[in-house]
Amino acid sequence: MAEKGLPLPKATSTGTTIVGCLFKDGIVLGADTRATEGPIVADKNCEKIHYITESIRCCGAGTAADTEFTTALISSNMELHALSTGRKPRVVTAMTMLKQMLFRYQGHVGAALVLGGVDATGPHLFTIHPHGSTDKLPYVTMGSGSLAAMAVFESGWTANMERDAALNLVKAAISAGIFNDLGSGSNIDACIITASHTEMLRNVEMPNQRVTKERSYGFRRGTTAWKTESVRDLIVSEEMTWVGGDAMDTT
Amino acid sequence: MNSFAERFSTTTAASQMRNAQKLADEDELDTAMWGSNAGFGSLAKGVPTFTVPAVADPTAFLRLHTDDHADPSCRIKIQHGTTTLAFRFQGGVIVAVDSRATAGSYVASGTVKKVIEINPYLLGTMAGGAADCQYWETYLGMHCRLHELRNRERISVSAASKYLSNLVYSYKGMGLSMGTMICGWDKTGPAVFYVDSDGTRLKGDLFSVGSGSTFAYGVLDQGYRWDLTDEEAQELGRRSIYAAGHRDAFSGNSCNLYHVKEDGWRFIGNYDIAKMHYDGPGNVAGSPGQGYGYDVRVEGRTSTNAPAVAAAA
Amino acid sequence: MPATISISQPQQRQFNPYSENGGTILAIAGADFSVIAGDTRQSEGYSIQTRYAPKVFQLTDKAVLAVNGFAADGNMFVKKVRQRLEWYRHAHAKDMPLRAIARLIQTMLYARRFFPFYVYNILGGIEEDGTGAVYSFDPVGSYEREACRAAGAAQSLVQPFLDNQIYFKNQTAAPGTSHPVHLPLSTVLSLVIDSFTSATERHIEVGDGLEMYVVLAKGSTAFQTLGGVRGIQELTATEDGEKVFIIRRELKKD
Repeated sequence: MAEKGLPLPKATSTGTTIVGCLFKDGIVLGADTRATEGPIVADKNCEKIHYITESIRCCGAGTAADTEFTTALISSNMELHALSTGRKPRVVTAMTMLKQMLFRYQGHVGAALVLGGVDATGPHLFTIHPHGSTDKLPYVTMGSGSLAAMAVFESGWTANMERDAALNLVKAAISAGIFNDLGSGSNIDACIITASHTEMLRNVEMPNQRVTKERSYGFRRGTTAWKTESVRDLIVSEEMTWVGGDAMDTT
Repeated sequence: MNSFAERFSTTTAASQMRNAQKLADEDELDTAMWGSNAGFGSLAKGVPTFTVPAVADPTAFLRLHTDDHADPSCRIKIQHGTTTLAFRFQGGVIVAVDSRATAGSYVASGTVKKVIEINPYLLGTMAGGAADCQYWETYLGMHCRLHELRNRERISVSAASKYLSNLVYSYKGMGLSMGTMICGWDKTGPAVFYVDSDGTRLKGDLFSVGSGSTFAYGVLDQGYRWDLTDEEAQELGRRSIYAAGHRDAFSGNSCNLYHVKEDGWRFIGNYDIAKMHYDGPGNVAGSPGQGYGYDVRVEGRTSTNAPAVAAAA
Repeated sequence: MPATISISQPQQRQFNPYSENGGTILAIAGADFSVIAGDTRQSEGYSIQTRYAPKVFQLTDKAVLAVNGFAADGNMFVKKVRQRLEWYRHAHAKDMPLRAIARLIQTMLYARRFFPFYVYNILGGIEEDGTGAVYSFDPVGSYEREACRAAGAAQSLVQPFLDNQIYFKNQTAAPGTSHPVHLPLSTVLSLVIDSFTSATERHIEVGDGLEMYVVLAKGSTAFQTLGGVRGIQELTATEDGEKVFIIRRELKKD
């Protein structure tokens, strides 16, 4: 299409900051909530932390539709896998399923993911790139705000952090993305996964509330010009007329 | 005159640009810039000078960075899309234009003045690059005044249009874009000349220029006669621009109408095209007293819009 | 791999002196005042270069110029316009009138017809007859006097709003009334602020700060409404009574 001179349809992209880090009891994931179409903000409060299983979650950056559907597909397959094996599925399983799918599509599925969770073998944190390559690291960032967020991790992350310290570090990393990367913005979502419990913290911080407008923009009835007017009764009234014969015997 | 000869002694666009560059470097801080003749102060030297990028092919550079009709992706937008018309008749010249400027699919302005008032006897129309038309027709106005001072008489429309034609021809291939009609009244009576940036110059009775010109011609040709009255002629101009504004996406918003007579041009009025569609041009000479489009298309077509006569019966 | 003889392949290079630095500018003319505004964010791609880079500049006691597009060209252009205005002052012992500044800007832009300044200009101020005026320009110098104009990154978001609220486009007046031709200063300032807070919400390149210049004609009654405005500062006042104010506001920084 592009060769024919037609511009390709613009995909809603989550020009994004997503992060994840390991702490003493598990994993903390974080994401901003801005979705963009080119320079326009398409959604001011979207959800980028997707459900895989109860104790595995996945942050998505890249083409919004691709991250949405790949994670949903893998989530579905993970549930089937859990049912057929009768065990709680492992994070590496999700990671392998994701990377094999993305590799098969040779980068045309534009999903850049941060996958984190806790399973029988402990906490695990991965990044998965659109072409299918993966990394396993104690702290990771992705998306257009990844450099800003990584700067925070590089200066602040230590092994065996407490839960609150890890959550604060993730908030600081996402904030760095929100304020310094134009592709990221609005609110902070976080998700804390431990062996016993998963806590989804939707909009833990809302540092960019919209201001009240100076004027109210209501319009007087009759503002829009019209040429013809027709008023129709929406209530359908029916009238019954007897056409000879005896009334039906309803006894 | 020496600089003039030097300037036009070479023919390729690139070497011309280099000459222009040479002149520009010399004149960067000309004393003429100090006074009130700012900008046009280098008039004595013949032609204003332009800064040119220091690249092998300045024309290709310009084409790369400005939109050349087809490429909407480039960054420096120059206004395009227009309907303009002018015709000669027994009562003078009618000039009518639309007022829309577009950049790609975006309507950049709906209030553009596409008739350039060169002097009280000459009008120019604007199609193509807005700046090119505005600048060179203003510049033409200055030269028409100089002609008056030198020759103690007004310049003929023919001479004025030829001056402009020669001027833009000297920049041929360098990316200027204009399609203009120079209209006026001189010793020979009403006159209309079509001049464009390719160097074309045509004398004629009736012209329409721009993306909506085909629509305007359709109405213009079927209604045009030499012996039109003033009112009929004005109405024809208005109606033609309305037709173009209605059917061409790159033309519209409003119509500006001018009438040139023996004693110079007169601005007749500004007419909203949507208003002309529904209600007509209002209480003006030659008005049909009703909308040009809406009722004609809608009345009697459905039961809810029965014609007034049928409804009364 | 063995060392191969490098055969000179055809090469293509491009000279690209332009960049796009985001941001939006806006100007509205009233009966006897003019408001010229711009945000202060300067960006390139997804990065913020600075959160405070002014795009609106006072030229004279009654002329203010807003520039948007490529910041380097914009700053250089303002510098050159100011230089020419100073020369004019030396030659004529007065400020250049607004309509003359508009024509000067046209000739200066057109002098670069073949190597354009990548800048969209909006000039606002007070005309010699005491009316508020706005002139808008394209990068190569075509210009027009208007009542309001938005330019820059969020032009396509702000201009339709202004068309509706200032020109009352697509609004029919209540029976027996008509739309006002000029709006009062208090309304205009509210519309400008709302334009920018809205553009900040929906355009990633707009934000950080807002600078609004208010130019009042002599004896303007709009002066009273400025008393209660938060963060206002008087910049210049002539003996005749023309006044220029600046109002600064914060915008969202994400």
